[in-house]
Amino acid sequence: MTTTHPTATAPARPGPAPTPGTLPLPAGTARAVTTAGAVLTLAATFLPWTWTRAFPGNLTVTGYPGGLQVLTLTGALLVLLFLASGHGVRGLRWLTPGGTTAPLVLLTAGTFATTWYAAGAISVTLGGVVNLEPGAWIATAGSLLALAGALGLPADTPAGTDGPSGTGAPAIQRLRHSLQAPAPRPARALPDWAEILLIAGAFAVVLYVFTYGIATEYGELFVGFLLLTGCAAPALAKAGLIRRVSRLTARHRNVSIAAAFVAAAAFPFLQSDNQFTSIAANILIFATVALGLNVVVGLAGLLDLGYVAFLGVGAYTAALVSGSPYSSVGLKFPFWAAVLTGALASLIFGVLIGAPTLRLRGDYLAIVTLGFGEIFRIGMQNLDGISGPAVTNGSTGIPQIPDLEILGFNFGETHSFLGFDFTRSANYFWLMLFFTVIVVSVFRRSDSSRIGRAWVAIREDETAARAMGINAFRFKLIAFALGATLAGLAGTVQAHAVSSIDPEQYKFVEAVPPNSAFLLAAVILGGMGTVGGPLIGAALLFLIPAKLQFIGEYQLLLFGVALVLLMRFRPEGLVADRRKQLEFHETGQLDVPDAKALAPVDGNGNGTTGGPDGPNDPGTTGPGKAEG
Amino acid sequence: MHDLPQQLANGLILGAMYGLIAIGYTMVYGIVQLINFAHGEIFMIGGFGALTAWLLLPSGTSIALALPLMLLLGMACSVLVGMGAERFAYRPLRGGPRLAPLITAIGLSIALQQAIWAFYPDAKKARPFPQFGGDPIDLGAFSIQRGELFLITAAPLCMIVLALFVSKSRTGRAMQATSQDPDTAKLMGINTDRIIVTAFAIGAAFAAIAAIAHGLKYGQVDFKMGFIAGLKAFTAAVLGGIGNIYGAMIGGLVLGFTEAMATAYIEYIPGMELFGGGAWKDVWAFVLLILVLLLRPQGLLGERVTDRA
Amino acid sequence: MTALLEVENLRVAYGKIEAVKGISFSVEAGQVVTLIGTNGAGKTTTLRTLSGLLKPLGGTVVFDGRKLNGVPAHKIVELGLAHSPEGRHIFPRLTIAENLQLGAFLRKDNAGIAQDIERAYERFPILGERRKQPAGTLSGGEQQMLAMGRALMSRPKLLMLDEPSMGLSPIMMQKIMETIGELRAQGTTILLVEQNAQAALSLADHGHVMEIGKIVLSGTGQDLLHDESVRKAYLGED
Repeated sequence: MTTTHPTATAPARPGPAPTPGTLPLPAGTARAVTTAGAVLTLAATFLPWTWTRAFPGNLTVTGYPGGLQVLTLTGALLVLLFLASGHGVRGLRWLTPGGTTAPLVLLTAGTFATTWYAAGAISVTLGGVVNLEPGAWIATAGSLLALAGALGLPADTPAGTDGPSGTGAPAIQRLRHSLQAPAPRPARALPDWAEILLIAGAFAVVLYVFTYGIATEYGELFVGFLLLTGCAAPALAKAGLIRRVSRLTARHRNVSIAAAFVAAAAFPFLQSDNQFTSIAANILIFATVALGLNVVVGLAGLLDLGYVAFLGVGAYTAALVSGSPYSSVGLKFPFWAAVLTGALASLIFGVLIGAPTLRLRGDYLAIVTLGFGEIFRIGMQNLDGISGPAVTNGSTGIPQIPDLEILGFNFGETHSFLGFDFTRSANYFWLMLFFTVIVVSVFRRSDSSRIGRAWVAIREDETAARAMGINAFRFKLIAFALGATLAGLAGTVQAHAVSSIDPEQYKFVEAVPPNSAFLLAAVILGGMGTVGGPLIGAALLFLIPAKLQFIGEYQLLLFGVALVLLMRFRPEGLVADRRKQLEFHETGQLDVPDAKALAPVDGNGNGTTGGPDGPNDPGTTGPGKAEG
Repeated sequence: MHDLPQQLANGLILGAMYGLIAIGYTMVYGIVQLINFAHGEIFMIGGFGALTAWLLLPSGTSIALALPLMLLLGMACSVLVGMGAERFAYRPLRGGPRLAPLITAIGLSIALQQAIWAFYPDAKKARPFPQFGGDPIDLGAFSIQRGELFLITAAPLCMIVLALFVSKSRTGRAMQATSQDPDTAKLMGINTDRIIVTAFAIGAAFAAIAAIAHGLKYGQVDFKMGFIAGLKAFTAAVLGGIGNIYGAMIGGLVLGFTEAMATAYIEYIPGMELFGGGAWKDVWAFVLLILVLLLRPQGLLGERVTDRA
Repeated sequence: MTALLEVENLRVAYGKIEAVKGISFSVEAGQVVTLIGTNGAGKTTTLRTLSGLLKPLGGTVVFDGRKLNGVPAHKIVELGLAHSPEGRHIFPRLTIAENLQLGAFLRKDNAGIAQDIERAYERFPILGERRKQPAGTLSGGEQQMLAMGRALMSRPKLLMLDEPSMGLSPIMMQKIMETIGELRAQGTTILLVEQNAQAALSLADHGHVMEIGKIVLSGTGQDLLHDESVRKAYLGED
């Protein structure tokens, strides 16, 4: 006789229980403590923090915050604003459409980090905590208080959706839970002009933050800046503001793109000092190349370890036809011809390298591109007439590349217009920006096209993609060649911008970008497959070695270690593509319907889908997916 | 074609060194499908380990006496780093997307290089490595340096030991099983984690031996020596058939042979007059790689990798 | 009498998809127990969890008095639980003899191993004829015999067979089922996962029907063979 097992009914869900924060405090007390801490910190920034100007930033004046004090001030101010918003103060509710506790935990943490870093830096630089004035002590105490208070605030999301988070759960679990924030409420629809104004405002803020970061004059301020923005950015994300802004930009796509372009172009106007424009121009070159690599690595999932060689091909081609006295080719092409030639040269090499390799295992591409990167450098070095035919002038490279002159406008000279100086750096900055826009649009176009979808399919499961009729080789070659061409394009401008190129600029890894390892790191650190990711990654990787001189000879060592840690703890990068996050973290396919609902258990026992139960991949070890 | 036998001898000896390094790459790739970019640095660290042993011994010790100790310390350092990399950098990422361990390997490679550069005394330039004194041994058609005797004896010995180990010993058979089908190997009672560590360790030990050979041949070790050597060695592994340990040695020999021949004789080919000599030495490996991938991608002896669906 | 294998409320998930949603069953020593069901029901997932290749989400597994939760796969084999996986998974580049030897990897008694290998050749003569050939050259049915022989080499207390008849011709299938019968007669405990419900239920002492991760029906082999819903769903009756 048979026994039937009826499907058990799910027990009734209990109502949402109040979830405590990481520290056991009643909500009202927590809020009060946070407020008190923030106010204290704020006030303390107006007091002197040290007695001598030997520490940069002049933190010695009462009533006039400077340097790191300004950062702490900003942090404390943000904390108070978000507290008010969370408390329901009218007029500020718009600040926190998503979570209130999560952003506060992050903001207080950021303020805490910046303040304590400042105090620490002062002590270390000047030799002892005796160098700290009362102002600094009050600030450190206040920021600690604020953080403690924030940790006591109740979590934004109800407990139990992802593991225990009640009072019984371990502290780290509760902390993780209080950093969860709900999706933001849908915004009220505003008239178009208002929304566009908001978009412009958002971009202005981003521009200001970038400018501040680039223009920091000393290493300590940059570190403080990184600490604060590092916490403030995710805080804004948790508060839902970033989601809100993306919705706005999605609705007004063209205006947003124009606004972004305007914001970027406005950068040189905000600089009184030309050196920062020059830095920005270099960052832009680096970032554009990284975006090109993003097509190869981020969209198509191909690992290219010698990408800087394509930059070099474009640069050398442009240099050879630039009319430089050191060029072995006596031609001088007009700019548009040089660009085309450079891009074409890179394209050819891309196809030459890709064609034999892309049919094979993905790992082989890594080695071949690494080899190509080295061979390019060696080749450029050897074609000096002694070890090889005289083409590239060997290790000295091709200096004295003349500045571009397009339609009579000489990029190398400073032009005055409406009382403003268009310096050489600014000129090249704008030219590069133009190319950046091209690269970004190519990127977005291909991402959302049929080609882009084929790339995703190939990335996820090449065998399945092939089975669906996708010619994997062709699409991979397109991605690879496209990436090469974009790099070549950027290279033609780079040659003129740096005015002198040599083989040593195109290495696999060195402390100064661009180089293949840094390019790859920019894409991965920033976030593969996104537009903003490589831009941010490039900016960080350029600025950190430049600003933090005190790291000195350990720069590359830290870089290597950072890569290892990044892959261990946040492989999807800073600006995470949601798909990538799922890929890396097995957070579960949230958009797949509950399996129960799928298969009707009818008498024929048909139509069951459920979990993967076909012939098993011998390589799967845990309950995880087969390798991507 | 003057001194062809000498060039041949040079090439094969060089190739044997590449082969020893290549074995490390091929064993690891065969079992876990990972290009261990840090293997070149494991090779380099073995060399520095051996050097350290030499420096710690009282000055005036003959190289012949010191060699066993150098071997010991060099292998110990390499094996330690190799096992450490597997345990702490690669194992936590097993089972996830393949990009993560690759990037980790690159980061590790850079970090190890820089660590030696920054922390090992005087490593910013090349450091001299002890040499075998005495005249080269004249064998008629060609001669070999005394230092090269080490590699000439070590390489075949290593291959024989490894071949016996893999085909006859219990662990060796477990390795074969693991590289063909890791899950089913577990079902046989094989501790695959331990097998993987063993593969890393063996590869590292061989790399250390190669590093000592390198030091004896070129008279120096430097922090950068792992980069190009690693690249070439992986090429050798692909050339012979990735995952195939015999292929790795064969590939190494072919690569060494090609490099020596091209460097010495390519200038005699009309049109290629300027491409001879040391400046282009490293390029030939790459050319060879492309040719192999075009003409016989599975390598000379065929691949030996897990059949992943 | 406690069963050789006790499974209680076993839950297994791939990411967030639960493939096995809380099943319970037991296997007594000397029995043949079968799990039947269509593709996707969770049968293979269950076996892979029992042998330690997958980690369960929840539930307990007790084998021979020993809790298996958290025990790694190679240790589970040591305890006497052998698994002949779906798709056979013989080692293609190793010879038949070497495959069999690997089955006895954990054993130290060389004489006993040699004896067992001979016995395997007796049982499956075709393997004996081809003992030096790489296992990858065998046909499907031959590979299945090799897989079973290999699994038996560890002299397991409980042998789990995952879809031994898959992809085999009717003659081969017959032979395999006969072999299972012989094994049972010799006292081996067997947990059999099969899509061929007819064959499996005819052989089994006890059976469970799985559907989308749950056991929906249980009974003796004969009872299930004659059960209405089972006939309709799995035995092709109208």
